[in-house]
Amino acid sequence: MRGWRSLLPIIVFTALYAAVSLSVTNSYYQLVMTLVPVWAIFGLSWNLLSGYTGLISFGHAAFFGLGAYAVVLGQIHFDLSPWIMIPIAAILGGIAGLLIGFPTFRLQGHYFALAMLAYPLAILYVFEWLGLQEVTLPIKRDNPIAYMQFADHRLYTLLALAMMLATILLTRAIERSRFGMALLAIKQNEAAAEGAGINTLAWKLRAVTLSGAIAGAVGGFYAVVLLVVTPQSVFGMLVSAQALTVAMFGGVGTVWGPVIGSVILIPLAETLNAEAGSRFPGIQGVIYGLAIICVILLAPEGLFWKVRDFLRKRSASPAAKTSSGPDIPAAAVPSAPAPSRSERFPGTGDVVLEVRNLSRSFGGLKAVQDVSFKLRRNEILGIIGPNGAGKTTLFNLLNGFLRPGTGEILLDGREMSGRKPHELCEAGIGRTFQIMRPFLRMSISDNVVVGAYVRAKTDAEARRLATEAIARVGLSEIADRIAGELTTKELRLMELARALAGQPRILLLDETLAGLGHDEANEVVAVIQRLARDGMTIAIIEHTMQAMVRLVDSFLVLDHGAVIVEGEPEAVTRDSRVIEAYLGKKWMAHAPH
Amino acid sequence: MTRATRAALTRRSLLAGASAGLISSRAWAQQPSEVKVGLLVPVSGLYARPGTVMRQGAEMAVDHINAQGGIKSLGGAKLKLVVLDSGDTTEKAKNAAQRMVAQEPDLVAASGAYLSSFTLAVTEVTERANLPVLTLSYSDLITDRGFKYVFQTSATAGSQAKQALPQIVKLAETASGKKPKTVAIVTDNTAASVSSAKAMRDGLLAENGLQLTVDETFTPPLADATSLVQKVRSARPDLLFFLPTVISDAKLLLEKMNEFGLGQGKIPTISFGIAIAEPDMLQTVSPELLQGLLTCVASWGAKGHEALIAELKTRYKEPWMTQNAISTYGDMWVIKDALEKAGKADRVAVADALRAMDGGPSKYYPLGEIKFDEKGRRVGAGMTIVQWQSGVPVTVFPPQLALAQPFWPKN
Repeated sequence: MRGWRSLLPIIVFTALYAAVSLSVTNSYYQLVMTLVPVWAIFGLSWNLLSGYTGLISFGHAAFFGLGAYAVVLGQIHFDLSPWIMIPIAAILGGIAGLLIGFPTFRLQGHYFALAMLAYPLAILYVFEWLGLQEVTLPIKRDNPIAYMQFADHRLYTLLALAMMLATILLTRAIERSRFGMALLAIKQNEAAAEGAGINTLAWKLRAVTLSGAIAGAVGGFYAVVLLVVTPQSVFGMLVSAQALTVAMFGGVGTVWGPVIGSVILIPLAETLNAEAGSRFPGIQGVIYGLAIICVILLAPEGLFWKVRDFLRKRSASPAAKTSSGPDIPAAAVPSAPAPSRSERFPGTGDVVLEVRNLSRSFGGLKAVQDVSFKLRRNEILGIIGPNGAGKTTLFNLLNGFLRPGTGEILLDGREMSGRKPHELCEAGIGRTFQIMRPFLRMSISDNVVVGAYVRAKTDAEARRLATEAIARVGLSEIADRIAGELTTKELRLMELARALAGQPRILLLDETLAGLGHDEANEVVAVIQRLARDGMTIAIIEHTMQAMVRLVDSFLVLDHGAVIVEGEPEAVTRDSRVIEAYLGKKWMAHAPH
Repeated sequence: MTRATRAALTRRSLLAGASAGLISSRAWAQQPSEVKVGLLVPVSGLYARPGTVMRQGAEMAVDHINAQGGIKSLGGAKLKLVVLDSGDTTEKAKNAAQRMVAQEPDLVAASGAYLSSFTLAVTEVTERANLPVLTLSYSDLITDRGFKYVFQTSATAGSQAKQALPQIVKLAETASGKKPKTVAIVTDNTAASVSSAKAMRDGLLAENGLQLTVDETFTPPLADATSLVQKVRSARPDLLFFLPTVISDAKLLLEKMNEFGLGQGKIPTISFGIAIAEPDMLQTVSPELLQGLLTCVASWGAKGHEALIAELKTRYKEPWMTQNAISTYGDMWVIKDALEKAGKADRVAVADALRAMDGGPSKYYPLGEIKFDEKGRRVGAGMTIVQWQSGVPVTVFPPQLALAQPFWPKN
């Protein structure tokens, strides 16, 4: 239902565009009308990889050019029509995406962008070396339609439009599925995504394959429109830049972005070339460049987001006033009295997680040394220690962000050390992060559903798990709010829900109470206690002793990477070594003996 | 003003006439006061400089034609030049061509588009619009596609190398007394250079008794020419064929040659194409380094063009007349002749006239005739060899066009 209604703007836009293009008789304007969807598709292809994963590709021309050359060479050497060759170009583009993606995804950030830049430039020289400086699609005077050579140029526009519609629908389907969620999660925080059970490499490879396939197909179609293919015209820097330009101008990470960018920029560039080019040669580039610079400065994420944020603010501001009146305390929903520890019979269950002699050092720094402990079913273990004690490193070892130097991690008796984070997540270890990484533009439900895919087979199941998880932390009432509008406490709870959505058996909570006021902390503590009552096993890192003493069943105190004390809260808080580690020697005098 | 009024009156009277229909308005269109000719060349971007020179040549020709009474068979109609910017990419060139045929429906012919790859793209459009295009681009591919509306005034790349090599061998032999035996090729990988070098490798060198000892291809822009020059120095060939497209590459290599003691004719250096003889060369390379350098070009200001060369100098401050200026100048005259023959301002008629044309010996293109074969290539199209002499590249071959005697650097 919701899907169909949101499709309406796309269908209306396509229909309108088709109607306008059919009314254009001037062949030059027809060409421009054709180039708009061509570059929009190319922008969408770029968007599918870079817009959603945040891994900027400067090298999409590689796929585009391979597609273009495939179509031209296919017709020259094998007399294969573009009707056949464009799908083949898509396959080639996909394969190229896979081959390029596999080694390049080892890199991140700027390194990834720069490495991607190298591919089309390298391929460009290969094609020059092959002697393919200029190849043309042979003109077919006998059977032009069979070779996609239309006398009526409007047919090219319609064809391009059909390809664009297909690409938009595909992108939207991806955007709404676990595929899109996984990509968005990678964009926000690749590590967190791994931690939420997403096999990031696999999803990234799927994204680059699909993106390459789309780029290959549209490159092939572009060759049909351009008729002449030169390495510069399909592998050149400007081609890769075109994809970035339309997407970034229009809006990154949305299907509308590249379309908006292309609809505005391509006719603008052409008009400038036509009107200004012969009178003031070169001025077209200056104006075009200035226009792009202005938009980047004023709307860094692209026009789409700027306009949407503006509209949302306008429509939201009166609504916000009314809703902020009766403040709904998020965690107050099922406000049962916090159960005491004794109600849960903790510490008597089976050992679910056992850590033996775990060590990890960074150069000379022994971040974690020889740590051993057992986590029993339904237990809440508090891991405390001063800053730099190695608490977060310990968690990173437990959920696979770091490989242990030595030692064992046994989950239900199975050795799990050195596994990838998404594998450990699948095995039932969920975690939250000290520094929150919410997906700010997404609603709470969408944020949480990312974490559900590790368990869910279908999108519907994932939604159900997410809804359950949100209910467990008491955020159901505001589940549709955008994460960017939430308070710290709500964000903490949302993170908790994201971890819960994957139905872990063990939760690793990294400073979940950090940055919360006293009352807020109590609300979160209540939620954690409820989780424990419902059978969850929890390890929690925290600084604030006070809240912890009421919460945990036992403490593990770390200092300088090693366990200094382990035991019941009451005993641990009185332990002189703990006080020393936390407060320094001068507080030792106050310690009860 | 008066012309416009007369035209308006004619139209009004025609429209008023009972027979005013499609045919009569066409009849009116056949007697225009002005005939539009297109020039689609790069006037912005990387290739703006050669494009501008082409425009200068075209403007001069149009002025000359109009001053001499315009198109006589069209009642003295004047030529009007419509300049379109092909930009610096194949896509821009193709779009400009589309714009040309769409926005200027009354063009009768055009000239363009400098780079072979631009011309290839442009003619894909003009062919479909039945607009005849004259081009100085010399890729063989342009006239190998079976097109009917493209006319290549230059000798094709393959043919140029074929014509040039025997001349160069002969020149070397008469000047130095011994026949050159070994050659080196240092070429960039742009389309024109590649096709010239390919023709040489694929048999031309062997036919002329030359042995290839060094064969190096580089990608412009060159960062450092040392390794290239070292290879040439260790092989010590009798001739060096050096095919740059970018002036900075030419400068780098020539300076490095000089540094290694190979410059100024120690190893006679022959280029293909216009880059090495562009006026811009002098801004970066000293005339001494260029002295004696030869280049084989499709066309050049030559004997019989002295007045034009002088006019170009005074009017546009161009120090000499390159292929771009003289060829485009010639194109306008060929279009003029075709219009005279066609007797109507109609692109298909002009194309027919061009195909049937037999204009006798060529005046502005080197050698051959003003006549096109079935592929659209100019019959007997020759080429020129140009030599840097005292800071000016002058035509030294063929003898009937030579402005100076060639000299062979003595080692």
